[in-house]
Parts: sequence; structure tokens; C-alpha cells
Amino acid sequence: MVLFAAMPEISITFDRVGKRFGSRQVLANLSGAIEPGQVLVVVGPNGSGKSTLINIIAGLMRPSRGEVAYRDGEGTLPRARWFEYLGMAAPDMAVYEELSARENLRFFARVRGLHRSDAALDDLLETTGLPRRERDRPVATYSSGMKQRVKLAQAVLHAPAVLLLDEPSSNLDEAGHELVARIVQDFRPRAAVAVATNDPREMAWADARIELAG
Amino acid sequence: MRGSSLLAECLAVLGKEVTAELRSRVALNAIGLFAITTLVAVAYQIGPYQIAEEDRPHLLAALLWIILFFAATSGLARVFVKEEDSHTAKTLRLAARPTAVFVGKYLFNLVLLLALYAVIVPLFCALMGYAVAGVVGLVLVMVGGAVALAATSTIVAAIISRASGSSTLFAIMSVPLVLPLLVFLIRGTRDAAGSGDLQPVLASLRAIVAYAGVTLITSVGLFRVVWND
Amino acid sequence: MTRKALKIWFPWVLGVWMIVVIVAAFFYAPPAQGFKGESSRIVFFHVPQAWVAVLAFCVNLVASVRYLRRRDPLDDARAAAAARLGLVFSVLATITGSLFARVMWGSFWNWDPREVSIAILLLVYAAYFALREMVPDEERRSTLSAAYAVLAFVTMPFLIFVVPRIYWSLHPDTIISASGQLRFEMESRMRQVFFGSLMGFTGLFAWLYTLDVRLARVRMSRARREEV
Repeated sequence: MVLFAAMPEISITFDRVGKRFGSRQVLANLSGAIEPGQVLVVVGPNGSGKSTLINIIAGLMRPSRGEVAYRDGEGTLPRARWFEYLGMAAPDMAVYEELSARENLRFFARVRGLHRSDAALDDLLETTGLPRRERDRPVATYSSGMKQRVKLAQAVLHAPAVLLLDEPSSNLDEAGHELVARIVQDFRPRAAVAVATNDPREMAWADARIELAG
Repeated sequence: MRGSSLLAECLAVLGKEVTAELRSRVALNAIGLFAITTLVAVAYQIGPYQIAEEDRPHLLAALLWIILFFAATSGLARVFVKEEDSHTAKTLRLAARPTAVFVGKYLFNLVLLLALYAVIVPLFCALMGYAVAGVVGLVLVMVGGAVALAATSTIVAAIISRASGSSTLFAIMSVPLVLPLLVFLIRGTRDAAGSGDLQPVLASLRAIVAYAGVTLITSVGLFRVVWND
Repeated sequence: MTRKALKIWFPWVLGVWMIVVIVAAFFYAPPAQGFKGESSRIVFFHVPQAWVAVLAFCVNLVASVRYLRRRDPLDDARAAAAARLGLVFSVLATITGSLFARVMWGSFWNWDPREVSIAILLLVYAAYFALREMVPDEERRSTLSAAYAVLAFVTMPFLIFVVPRIYWSLHPDTIISASGQLRFEMESRMRQVFFGSLMGFTGLFAWLYTLDVRLARVRMSRARREEV
């Protein structure tokens, strides 16, 4: 489905991570690891901090306490470079509504410094199950299920070494859930995968689990 | 690992901005409408005849830049505020290098400003009876002004997009920074309009270019901390 | 002198110093030539206030740059403390300058470049605090305001040095001439009072700044204890 080109294997460790917003302590003293070949599932009720943890692991947020480290074979990676190895899909991460699915992927490929032919992008869209006739229409016209498929395509476009999925099956029907399952299976052997979810079918993918209390 | 250069990535961002803007036209409409409305209001009230001859060069230059500056504030913040509002900021943050984001968006704002000036300046001169002797000088001042104003506006837009995104805050923060630049621009415009000789315009141009250079370099350096948490 | 002793004595010494300066400004120093009546005495207050406003700006810049490098919340507290005082002193400098302008030239505001510079510094401080008000998250607030402080600092030289060069100024010859050399046209008693006032106002800034930072430190350590 995707080309696992020259991405190194990355393992992530987070050590005693805590996060507070003002006076509200959302995460406290969380430690764990995400290894290639493993799927870490983060579960917890709404508001328990699943998305916060994923954002901190992604480097989008700084923890109030503790540290996150990305290691490739040679050493730790500076935070400024994490995004190069990272693919992420989340409810609050949209794609550009004025552009079509194809144009979105073309943009994200270019801006990541990737050379992807239109045919390759089309293949990717094919595997996400986005209907052919929609691919050139602006994303604004899509249903939420179709938008989610484009978001997933954007997340895997560059065959990332780290895949973070926050509620990936939201807005998706049964076929969509199968798509997510397939993505996780494809990435599991080589990439470090973490999924934040409340869906029991997704929780079943876990090799390791973190449970967050509310 | 990257197959392309920073320049290619900047241009990709620029291309995306232009495409999206041409389809939605929100910033274009905001800036264009503001400029035209203000221009018409000024021209109607003042016109070519209401200002005394000796005051015309300076006053007309000042009026022109007030219109151009405030028109800009009504639309230049959109490059960043729109990203936060439509939740694409995070996606972009994880896809592109900060410098590519900044330069691409800066270039977009620059193009927007140049387009604005290309339309409004001739209209202004026609409606207000502003006779410009040194067109070359004027064009240089306009281009310099666009380069400098786009720089300040883009970094301030980035900052406010991470705050409340309000355009009031954008104006409050931009004005103190831009006032010295406006002084140079007004003076340069006045000198360019006054004579075909480039000599008097050069002093202002030097200041404008220096301001633009300093602001651009600082902005590129500051952008990384503003963009990432 | 131990730190504690300094903490106790400094405000008293400063208070006495300022009283002496104020009395001396009115009774010891003679009025200057070329100024209307006694109006030259305002120099003893106006210039030090403007100086403190600029000093505060520099302190704010240093603290802001340090924050951006080390992300120590105390540096942000330092930057905010300096900015608060900078705002107060630039308001004072604008008011005293305006009063002087009224006496000397008949109107409160003349759009003289130096008048305008101090007013713009005031606008920068106001914008700095407006920005801080609009960001609820502490770390982001600190980062964004530090970035704005650096940006403002970088554009200031244009206002202070380049603009006046281009324009004729109503402002009395300033102390620092174009060649960068300090020139003193003040008679010795005036000079004494002037420097006394300068030192006094700087001391006032240092004291208020230290108090503000100390308060911030206490608040931060209390918050940390509550966390645990």
C-alpha cells in the first residue's frame, strides 16, 4: 500500500510526563514507550487526556513535566525534526477545504520534500476508498467520512516511521474501520504506532496499553 | 532524506495559498473593498480641489499610505488566522518546515500587497489629481513598502493567530512597529511625486530597504518559536 | 553589606535621596538660559523618566531573549516586570514632556520626532500587555510576548535614530549629540542635580523591578508546592 522507503526505525519513550492547563492537571506521571513492531493503544473516557498525550508525543505540545525522546539507531532526535518522521491523524487536524483531495496530497507531498507522481497519489487515494469522481472536487463538498479518508491518506503519504492516530475510525463506516485496521497492520512491522481510542475493536489491536483515568 | 530544496517547499506553500485564495477570495475581497471604499470616501470629501497647492504633495502622500496601510490590516492576517480557524494549522505544522511556512506566506502577502498597490495607486492619483513626476521613484517606493510591510504583517499575523486572532489585536500590535516605516514611505512618495530625479528619493529608499531587511531576518528567526508550542 | 541589610536600607536611602533631589531641583539649581521662566527644571524629571523608560525596554529585551532560549518562567516574570515599569515611566515622560511643550511652545503636542518616539514606546508597551491579555496559556503567553518584544526592539532604532535625522526637531539639543559624544551645556549645580535625579530614578526602577520579580518568585514557588 505504501512505499517503505528510506525511513529509519524510530522508538519513542516518554518519561514521567505530566500536563497541566492552568489549575487543571490533565496528565500526571505517565511513562511508557512505543517501539517499532508494537501498537500502543491509549484508552480513557472523554476528557481524560488521550489527545493531550498524543499531542505531546507528536511534539505539538510541551509537557509541563517529564520528557519525550525519539531515538533512531544512532541517538536521540532533536524535537525540531520529529515531524519529518511522523504521520498523524486527529479530529482537530483538518485538510484544506478549498483544495481537492488530489491537490491536498500533492501539496503535502511537495511541502515534505517528496516526489510523488500523480499516479502514486491516485493509488493512495484508491486504497483509502475515496470515490474517483470526488478526488478532484474541493474537500469542502465531502462528507465527514470522505474527509477522514483524506486525512488518513495525508498521514501515511510519506510512509512515516511513527504513526499516531487519534480516534481514527470516527466518522467512518464499517469499510472505513477496515481501512484503518489495514493501515495499522501495514505499519505495525516497521513503524511505531500509537492509537488513542474508545472503540473496543481498535483496543483489540494493542500490544501495549495505557489507561487514563478521567 | 528530503528530495527538494527549501525554496521548492516555500513555493509549494505559496502555491497553496494562491490557489486557496483565488477560490475563496476572502482576503482579496476584504482588502479590495476596504481600499476602494476608503478611497471613494476620501476622494468624495476631498477630491482634487480641496487641498491647498503647497500642502498637496505631503498630504496626498500621507492619505495614500493611510488607505494602503489600513486596507492591508484588514486582510493580511488571514494567512495565519485562517489556518487556526479551519484546523489546518496542526496538519501544516507536522508537514512543513517552519521557514518554508513563513517564507511561503510572506510571499503570498507580498503578492497581495503589490496587487493592491497596482490597483489603488493609479486610482488614487486619478481621483485626487495627484500628479506624479517620478514614476520610477514611486514604483521603487511602492515595491519597497510592500516588501517591508508584508514582513511585519506576516510575523504579527503569526503571533496573533496563536493568541486570539482578532484583527484589533493585529492593528494594535502592528501600528507601533510600522510607524517609522510609514514616515519613510510617505516622505519617499512625496519626493518621488515631486520630481523625476531619483536623488531625493534614495534617502527614504535606503531607510525602507534597511527596515525591510532587519524585519525579515528577525521574523524568520522568531517564527519558529511563534509557530511551534 | 549583606543582602538582607540592603533590602531594608535601600528604600529608605532612596526615599531620602529623591527628596533631596526634588528640593534641590527647585531651590538649589538655577534656571537655565533660553527656557521660559522656571520651566527648565522639568529636565531634572522628564529626562530621567525617559531614560528609565528606555532602560526598562532594554531589560525587557534581555529577559525576553533569555526566556526564548531557556524557557525559564522567571525570565518571563522579569520581562513583564520591566515592561510594567516601562509603561508607567513612558506615560510619565510623555506627560512631563507635554507639559513642558505647553509652556515653551504653547501647545501640548507638536509632533516632534522625539516626542513621538516616547509615545510610540508607550504604544509598544500597551500592545505588549494587550497581547498578554489575549493568551490564556502561560507558556504560549510568555513566548509570544517575548517574540513581540524582540520584534519591537529591532524596529526601535529606526524610530530613534533614523527618523530624527531626516526631520528638523523642536526638541532642545539633547545630551548625546550626533557624534555620540556626551556634551554638557549645563552649569555645575544643574549637572549635580541632574545626575542625582538620574541616579535616583534608576534606583527607583531597580527597587520596584526587584520587588516585582521577588513577588513573582514567591507566587511561582507557591504554585509549585500546590502542584505536588
